[in-house]
Amino acid sequence: MTTTGTEPGSDPDAVDDRRSDDRPPDDDAVLAAAQVSAATSLGGAPAGVKVRRSVDDRLVEVGLYVGSILLALLLSAGLVMAVGGSPTAVFSALLDGSVRSPGAWGLTITTMAPLLLVAGGTIVATRAGLVNIGQEGQVLVGAAFAAYLAVRLPGPGPVVLVAALVFAAVGGAVWAGIAAGMRAWRSVPEVLTTLLLTFVAFGLITYGLRQRWLIGDRDTSRQGRVNTGEQIPFDTRLPDLRIFGNAIDSGAIIALGVAALLAWMMARTFLGARIDVVGLNRRAAQRFGISEKPLSAMLLIGSGALAGVGGSVLLLGAASGDRMTIGFSGNFGWEGLLVALLARNRVLLAIPMAFVFAALRTGSSFLAATGVDRKMTDVVQALLVLALLLPPALMFIRDRRRAMAATGGGG
Amino acid sequence: MTTHATADAAVPTDVPAVRVRGLVKRYGAVTACDGIDIDLRPGEIHGVLGENGAGKSTLMKVLIGLVLPDQGRVEVRGRPVVIDDPQEAAELGIGMVHQHFSLVNELRVWENVVLGERRRLDAGAARRRVRTIAEHHGLDVDPDARVEDLTAGQRQRVEIVKCLRRDPEIVIFDEPTSVLTPQESEHLFRVLRVAVERDGRAVALVSHKLDEILRATDTVTILRRGRVVGSSLTDDTDARTLAQAMVGRPVSLRSEAGALGVVADPIDTERPPDAVPGGAPDAVSAGPAPALRVTGARSVRGDGKVVLDGIDLDVHAGEIVGVAGVEGNGQTELVEVLSSLRRLDAGTVEVDGRPVDTGRAGAMGAARVGVIPEDRHDAGCVLDLSVAQNLHLGRLAAGRPLGRLDHDRMRAAAERLIDEYDISCAGPDAPFRSLSGGNQQRAVLARELTADPLVLVASQPTHGLDVGAIEFMSERLRAAAASGVAVLLVSSELEEILHLSDRIVVMFAGRIVGEMRRDDADFERIGLLMAGAAA
Repeated sequence: MTTTGTEPGSDPDAVDDRRSDDRPPDDDAVLAAAQVSAATSLGGAPAGVKVRRSVDDRLVEVGLYVGSILLALLLSAGLVMAVGGSPTAVFSALLDGSVRSPGAWGLTITTMAPLLLVAGGTIVATRAGLVNIGQEGQVLVGAAFAAYLAVRLPGPGPVVLVAALVFAAVGGAVWAGIAAGMRAWRSVPEVLTTLLLTFVAFGLITYGLRQRWLIGDRDTSRQGRVNTGEQIPFDTRLPDLRIFGNAIDSGAIIALGVAALLAWMMARTFLGARIDVVGLNRRAAQRFGISEKPLSAMLLIGSGALAGVGGSVLLLGAASGDRMTIGFSGNFGWEGLLVALLARNRVLLAIPMAFVFAALRTGSSFLAATGVDRKMTDVVQALLVLALLLPPALMFIRDRRRAMAATGGGG
Repeated sequence: MTTHATADAAVPTDVPAVRVRGLVKRYGAVTACDGIDIDLRPGEIHGVLGENGAGKSTLMKVLIGLVLPDQGRVEVRGRPVVIDDPQEAAELGIGMVHQHFSLVNELRVWENVVLGERRRLDAGAARRRVRTIAEHHGLDVDPDARVEDLTAGQRQRVEIVKCLRRDPEIVIFDEPTSVLTPQESEHLFRVLRVAVERDGRAVALVSHKLDEILRATDTVTILRRGRVVGSSLTDDTDARTLAQAMVGRPVSLRSEAGALGVVADPIDTERPPDAVPGGAPDAVSAGPAPALRVTGARSVRGDGKVVLDGIDLDVHAGEIVGVAGVEGNGQTELVEVLSSLRRLDAGTVEVDGRPVDTGRAGAMGAARVGVIPEDRHDAGCVLDLSVAQNLHLGRLAAGRPLGRLDHDRMRAAAERLIDEYDISCAGPDAPFRSLSGGNQQRAVLARELTADPLVLVASQPTHGLDVGAIEFMSERLRAAAASGVAVLLVSSELEEILHLSDRIVVMFAGRIVGEMRRDDADFERIGLLMAGAAA
């Protein structure tokens, strides 16, 4: 693959790896007590304590992940059998659809692109402590902006294509910008505004698709089909890359490039460090001269812009149809949010996560042959999400228990 | 139920009210209590003395049912018991007055006292009971006052009434004087006397202050690192012996007085040799513009309460000005203003003659005001970032947004500071969270001092530290002043203020109600000012 230098685990994310390196004891009390054992000599004892605990924690954590994923797979197999299917056949069909059959992994990577774009922006915003959950709407608005330009702007295809992508970013940014503005000037929580704006976006897009002067189909011979957009001209679609017989959308290159850029930004720039400080301790940020409000507004807008680009990649690429329709965004926004959640706010981890989600999407199209409804993959996907969220939740509860037990013992 | 406790005083006095043997409590790899033996006897005030982290609180939390011990035996009136929740402790007649209050501010005193009782509520009876208990013990408490209108000292009295309403035979006081003025502390000790002598209760007084242990207790047990290192009648011991047992090495009662909770003799005006540059007191009268000048500072909280009510304060280069006062009289808000965390509603702050825009992110730091905050986890550090990043928080905020962050240089600089300030940690990449409280405080101090401040604000800088760490902090503050930094020391520990300051101001209800030079400082007078008595 000719794309970028983002092998997972390469060092751009080194800081994150360190951050996630098990949380040492949450409680000052234990540490205060540890200090006792070091007392006047202030020796290495507390550090030693920490290292020993964190190796244990790491093992426990890995065990929990393995266990909960196995449990999810077992439950999925049980469900498949309950509806009369064969788990092995289903598994094999999923593999065929996502990676094994000719051209499959190319399609999976293509499908991954919008998910990764949405997740990337979400992760950066979340790192600053923001809760943007309106990606579905931002995807939709971005795609609508791109759809308008792609069919209206005269000129050579590549120019129109680039303009459409940029316009999509503007669309997503405007949509998230409403929430950002309300947050900055009136302190309206972005968790509410972003979510509710999604439903407004659905309404607006439905309206737009009915209006021929907006994004509705101008072809009068298709009068009978309401609520569809115009077909995107071939020369303004994202070109494919052909690698080993797989057609990979160039949108995937954009997505991977953006992910690499974001990972670099978070780990290697002052901006990235400031985002972390704001997300982890707002008052410390204020004291040391990082203004939270403009930074947050910028990040919300940025994450909206990336979701918008995600929408345009969906529209102009091969992952969706060739025109806007009402259900066009197909939960890509919500799923991007899940990818960000499961990547635990690390940009590079979002790449494999987005791939897994994309694989479930592409794989499900092969399920028909097994006689199992393709909706089954939604259930499997939900079980996997729960399986991946369970271990951190359990670890959190345990940490808190420990902390509470130990605050009992300041000594 | 009456307040006269020892109905079953038939118990011979040689049977302790509480007997603890071989108590062990571990938290992970850390042993908070390592085989503690202690007896609390009726009619006796038993001092439990130890540094922060010596195991005092854990021991008491075992007795009150908040913590289950790993090993050991607890007997109440000769009967072995397992105290697995506070309800059980209450039924056994053990009560505790906690260091931090658990009162509902919006409710009245009597309502707070009966809160949590399951019986039918009789307001009249409850009021009467509050009054009876208060009068019996000489506690001045108005049952109908709202808790939010009370001072810290009055709130503590409510807590005491709340504890005594169950008529406990054993009462534990956990660091009770930390929110009191000296006069209020004296009064509290008289209340304790009444409780043991008239009612025959067993009282445990937990403290890290030598003076009050010597003044108020009958017997004393000294804890160090979770073990009992000494136990005797208070009359048979003295400050030096206690200090040495508590810290585990010979200590100087004079140079470490602040750390040990010993009030330096107010008549003894001789200073530690390294204390202050002679220029400081003169600078007050003559000198150039003060390094820090606060004029008419006023700040109103969201709920309308005036937290800073016209503060005027000058701090000159090279002097240490101590801000005394009971917690909650505006000191926290003053430090917030000087940390760019609070915008003044009126008044100005000038640093080195130039006005600073209060409340603008980073403005104070840019004007070279360093802060060692009261709660370092609040705005002093970012627990989930590395030590190196925490040592460079100011610089993280200053660089060009997309400029390259030089991790190697940050690490190298951090290593130098870790060395210089003797910060015990796994290295510059260790998460800040993994450091002990004392080492976190060292790191904060290192960061603030290397920023080359004109003004250093130290708010409760030694809170929760052991004696060694307190000494380190005191030395550094003195050295900073000696090198020409204007130091503003905010502390609720009067001993610390008296030990370090050149000049002392007293805050009460958001105002500065008194100011004096250290040489003229009078313990009695400061105490009265702290209580808002006279101006």
